[in-house]
Amino acid sequence: MTCPLKVVHLVDDTTAGGVTRVVDFILSSNATQSEIRHERQIVSRGKLQVTRYDADVIVSHLTVSWRSLPSLLLLKASNVGKRLIHVEHSYTEAFVAHNVTNQRRFFSLLRNGFSLFDRIVSVSFAQADWFVAQKLCAGDKVSTIQSCVDLAPFQDIPMRDGPARIFAAIGRLDRQKGFDALIVAFKACAAEDIRLHVFGEGEEEEHLRALAAGDTRIEFKGFAASPIDALAQVDVVIMPSRWEAYGLVAIEALSANRTLICTDVDGLRDHKSLGAEFFEQYSIGCISSKIAEVRSRAAGSAKENDRRSKPLGEIFLSKWQALLSEQQEASVNRPAITSSEVQ
Amino acid sequence: MPYVSIVVPAYNVARTLPETLRALLAQSFVDFEILVIDDGSTDETANVVRGFQSDDRVRLISQRNRGLAGARNSGIAAARGGLIGFCDADDTWEPEKLNIHVRHLHANPDVGVSYSGSALMDEESIQLGRYQSPRLLAVRPEHIFKRNPIGNGSAPVMRRAVFDAIAYRPAFEAERDWYFDETFRQSEDIECWLRIALTTAWCFEGVEGHLTNYRINASGLSANTDRQLASWENMVTKLRPINPTFFDTHEAAARSYQYRYLARRAVSDLDGARAWDHVLLSLQQSHRPVLEEPMKTVQTVVAAAALKIVGPGALRPFLLAKGTKS
Repeated sequence: MTCPLKVVHLVDDTTAGGVTRVVDFILSSNATQSEIRHERQIVSRGKLQVTRYDADVIVSHLTVSWRSLPSLLLLKASNVGKRLIHVEHSYTEAFVAHNVTNQRRFFSLLRNGFSLFDRIVSVSFAQADWFVAQKLCAGDKVSTIQSCVDLAPFQDIPMRDGPARIFAAIGRLDRQKGFDALIVAFKACAAEDIRLHVFGEGEEEEHLRALAAGDTRIEFKGFAASPIDALAQVDVVIMPSRWEAYGLVAIEALSANRTLICTDVDGLRDHKSLGAEFFEQYSIGCISSKIAEVRSRAAGSAKENDRRSKPLGEIFLSKWQALLSEQQEASVNRPAITSSEVQ
Repeated sequence: MPYVSIVVPAYNVARTLPETLRALLAQSFVDFEILVIDDGSTDETANVVRGFQSDDRVRLISQRNRGLAGARNSGIAAARGGLIGFCDADDTWEPEKLNIHVRHLHANPDVGVSYSGSALMDEESIQLGRYQSPRLLAVRPEHIFKRNPIGNGSAPVMRRAVFDAIAYRPAFEAERDWYFDETFRQSEDIECWLRIALTTAWCFEGVEGHLTNYRINASGLSANTDRQLASWENMVTKLRPINPTFFDTHEAAARSYQYRYLARRAVSDLDGARAWDHVLLSLQQSHRPVLEEPMKTVQTVVAAAALKIVGPGALRPFLLAKGTKS
């Protein structure tokens, strides 16, 4: 019997967000297959440490920044001979447009950062297209594996009858998510029988509540401990994100066969083939008219079977398996972990 | 495939189009196609183009009148080049212009929009000795919002990928995508440039030189200022949700520059009352133009005041020497 391929996933984001859930899902495959052994290591962002990992393949889910670049260099130097893969969970074209003041410097960071790895994994096809168009790394070095979580519980959410009346915004209350624009656009819709349920918490909450003031159709539901329960109560999910590397909420909503309308931006574009619909442009008028259009339709959709039959989880896990197996040839023997802090 | 597509929107421009086409065909960089979009002209525009088609780089596309944005969109949709340049049918390019932009974009993969300064000329193609000399480097979205360094519709040469990134298709549009917003009849340029700057990662950067000759019409400039202002405000309303913080920070200053620009146009039209009104509106909005461009702002204030108090005689000698626009 051959030894399983040892893979260590390095994470520096331990919040309950997307990265954690995606790595959880990868780790869950340990239970069903024996060729690859996944393990998670939490590291402090940017901390300089010499760690030679007991693994054949090292997968970085780390943040690439000027501050963390030395630690990434050290990671490579300490693990000579091992295959290094980086998953880019954050950066996209619209992220740069909204958050970066010196594009050239930033692109130089990404080119340098990406050059340390044998492979770069993009979490959406749109993100991969941008990496290549912006020449951030060579096209043959990028693999696209659309992020995923266990979607089975979402597929079991019952359909809702009747017309589309309850719209949901689900996510951190942060300017990235664009709920401010959504609330203004929703208020501009005259229909009295529609509702907007906002699930989530965050620093924008006060601002969003002020924007919604006076409109009793809008309700703030707080953090949705169970996104499944949240989705069960609503007809339509709206994602007016200003940037989004992929958008797990999108595949959860589509798996539950909820109508999904979102911004035509970054990784959200990947959901088109699954039935996502888009605002024509990012303006109050376009968001309002999309809400009105969806309201005038019957709930549910003829595409139900298409959506629910897409085995996104299987595709995700098998792509990871294939990518890691490719690395097997190139990896070397595995000495024990030695860790000594430089700083 | 041509390396560059040059889009020439053409609406009833039989008189000026030959000069434009001759200037484009005389470019030192030769691997291009010219797409003249005859936007429902009722004059001899199409025949003029046919007269140039002995050069097989010249293509004619005829459509019902869709306006400047609609003509540019059709040009972009039909373009085969990886780079797309624009030249209005009454402007001209210096022979080296295309070559310089091609090299600039080749050397700078992060730059999506390359542009140059312009020299102003009158209806007889006589250089007025006045120039648009915009900011060239480290261009941020606020620079585009406030002072639009691209300056005019014949200045930019861009990557096709920039347009791919902002393409959209209204539900009622059956033929092709939109890049410029065809619902705008003015401010369509600045709306598109600002949308690119606020939603994509492409850099804007200028090259040295006044490589475009931009034609100024002598009359009727300020007649449309109310409409121009209204379309500028429409642009702000439309784009604000993309990045509210950006607009909170820069909107007042940009509006102040906009009023100052309209004041300068009113000065050019010797309309003292309107010029002074716009000067006051500009100063009420923000003092940024005074701080950022003191000479030009003071010059505008003084010119508007002189025009209002003394009358057109106070400025006529300057205007005759200096042309009418900026």
